Amino acid sequence: MKFFHYMNFILIVILLVGICFAEDLVVSNSLRQVQTDCYEIESLLDSYDHLKNMDITLAVDNLEYDWTENEENMCFMVNHKNIQEIGVEIAKLKLYIASDDVDGFKVSIEQIKFYCHSYLHFMGANWHNVL
Amino acid sequence: MLTIIVRSIIIYLIVLLVFRLMGKRQLGQMQPFELVLTLIIADLATIPMAEVSVPVLHGVVPLLTLVVLHFVLTLISRSSHFFSKVISGKPVIIVNPKGIDYQAMKKLNLSTDDIFEALRECGYFSISQVQYAIMETNGKVSVMPKADFSPVTNADLKTNAEDNYLPIILVSDGKVIKDNIALAGVSEQDIQNMIDENGSGKQSIKDTLLLTLDKTGQGYFQSKKGEGKSFQIEVKK
Repeated sequence: MKFFHYMNFILIVILLVGICFAEDLVVSNSLRQVQTDCYEIESLLDSYDHLKNMDITLAVDNLEYDWTENEENMCFMVNHKNIQEIGVEIAKLKLYIASDDVDGFKVSIEQIKFYCHSYLHFMGANWHNVL
Repeated sequence: MLTIIVRSIIIYLIVLLVFRLMGKRQLGQMQPFELVLTLIIADLATIPMAEVSVPVLHGVVPLLTLVVLHFVLTLISRSSHFFSKVISGKPVIIVNPKGIDYQAMKKLNLSTDDIFEALRECGYFSISQVQYAIMETNGKVSVMPKADFSPVTNADLKTNAEDNYLPIILVSDGKVIKDNIALAGVSEQDIQNMIDENGSGKQSIKDTLLLTLDKTGQGYFQSKKGEGKSFQIEVKK
């Protein structure tokens, strides 16, 4: 009986460690993926004067697809309210393409990058976050 | 709303598991650190239940972390007397043969009313009846009465009283407790015989509210509709 009691606690410790690793892996991979997509869109912006072209539209669709896929996994581990701003900004990107608003588009891309960066900083285990 | 219902079920099951793993102590028997853990657990459990945007893991992970912490603290408390004193404190004598220990009373932040209340709860209405009163680490007061006020025991009277045995519950609310049948050394047929002998008319196990038996063959039977009745059977040696 005592053996099972100890085993319970060992299993819980293993589970907790597993959750920590899984969270770190899922969240950083997801957010870095979004960041990479944003950098790609930014490089495309340098080559075009306007937003209404196939490359940028496909890149934004790709960003939206990646975000939707990753958000599902992240919702197991992250407070949904903390990450929903990224989804809102991605939706805005599509509106900016329709209205060909380059400045607004650039601001939204910057904001997505900022949210990703700040959340990556926020979720990491360091003394600033712990204390 | 369905999400909240499912989450509530999940959290409830996890909190149940957490309390089972932490042991069976009642609120009044808890050490200070156990009480703190219980309060935190109660608070943590409600967060993912009520807030749908918060993942269930945000409630489960701190709960499991506290279970592990509790386990580690208990383990260290058991192995180190010093640590146990730091975490749980130590029992303090608040009443001694000279009377109330005022220093101890002040240290524990107690009033004379509190001491009298605790003594009354233990069945002593005058401090002159009390030799020692000790405030235990879980906040309960234990009292050792003066010799004149101690209850008389069989040992005092030098009588040859027989030992009592714990009655084993064989039937409870119409159901046979299978584990206890082996413990009592009887069969289901023996149980039916006991019911037939002590019940009025034809009665089955389903009609029985309680049937107990101890090692000496002393039993108690009560049907769901009748009165309770003690009986004695011969015990197989």
